[in-house]
Amino acid sequence: MIITRRQARRPLTSSSSRRPGSLVRTATGVVGLASVAATVWLGLWVTPPSTNLGQLVRLLYIHPPVAWVAYLAFGVTAAASLLYLWRRTRSVVWDRLAAASGEVGVLFCGLTLVSGSIWGKATWGVWWTWDARLTSTALLFVLYLGYLALRRVPSDPGTRAKRSAVAAILAFADVPISYLSVYWWKTLHQTGTVLNPQRQVHVHGLMAWTLLLGFCAFTLVYAWLVAHRYAVEALAERQQGEGLARALAERRAEGRAA
Amino acid sequence: MAVASARSRGRLEHPRRLWVVGVIIVAAIGFLLAKGLGSSINYFETVNQAVALRSSLGTTTFRMEGVVVRGTVHQTSRGTDFSMRSHGVTVPVVNTSSPPQLFAPGRAVVVVGHFARGTDKFLSNEIMVKHSANYVAAHPNRVKPGANGSS
Repeated sequence: MIITRRQARRPLTSSSSRRPGSLVRTATGVVGLASVAATVWLGLWVTPPSTNLGQLVRLLYIHPPVAWVAYLAFGVTAAASLLYLWRRTRSVVWDRLAAASGEVGVLFCGLTLVSGSIWGKATWGVWWTWDARLTSTALLFVLYLGYLALRRVPSDPGTRAKRSAVAAILAFADVPISYLSVYWWKTLHQTGTVLNPQRQVHVHGLMAWTLLLGFCAFTLVYAWLVAHRYAVEALAERQQGEGLARALAERRAEGRAA
Repeated sequence: MAVASARSRGRLEHPRRLWVVGVIIVAAIGFLLAKGLGSSINYFETVNQAVALRSSLGTTTFRMEGVVVRGTVHQTSRGTDFSMRSHGVTVPVVNTSSPPQLFAPGRAVVVVGHFARGTDKFLSNEIMVKHSANYVAAHPNRVKPGANGSS
């Protein structure tokens, strides 16, 4: 009975829901990667050096956009986790989205730390220092690494989803702390370039446009990666389900044969 | 149906344990932020704050922030000496490290070190250069290059 239901569902998933979804996904990926390439080209060859930083300004087009994506990813994870915990909206969709976004978020948080460290060595003169922005960002990385580890603790899917949703929401508390740390405390790190409370961007002409492109480019790459990660998660769950159904069918066949 | 039963089982099994774990995590984060990040939160003293705290600081090592005073930078056999100013208060710095490439008069810096006993001098072995989030295009064709400086 289980097998017939599965067989009836299969053509539906492969023909109607998969194709348009994967087309949008591919388009997002192509546009995202092309935008990253354009950002690198504008950032390295077209934009001018800046008055204070000279050529060292060029990491501006990578580091803040990558950091923004880390914040965004953890925001999506926390929001999806809330939607999962709220009984009226509870769905496996939110759990999968939280997992996918959390994983991509850890990747981008790592890239934030690495690109920031390189930029810091060049401009500040040190690879690392324990100021509030750097410390809270490192904490963010470790918190969501812990979140990913928690997701791999064996348990039934419902418990795992709830447990990790609570962890994701708690860990998100560090995102506003990290973002506001440069305003709350004395730091070596400069204040927000674009997302500052004054909403004043002190970036000139083409440099500002390149930065904007960088923000869009990395956000698209994020969306593309999350879509893929989500699809892989869904497929893995389906495979697990089918494996169980097949095993049941085999045991039944054995029972009949005996 | 199977999903529904797994859900209710999960909910009934450990709601209390989940809360306990949650409270512990929150407490741990709170503790880290309050205690562990203490030195991060007060990352540096400005020059005027450092001078005001001179007697209590003694010769303990801390970070001091200020602007490099123009005309005070000179190379020594040990490193680079200069004066730092903040809010009208100036302190002479004896530094024994090679300054970062963006180090220049008029720039904000953070130095790591301590006051020398019995003098008004600050002994530093590390310089970090601060910069703002203002990114203004340099016009190398119009202005004669003064390295990458705003001098």
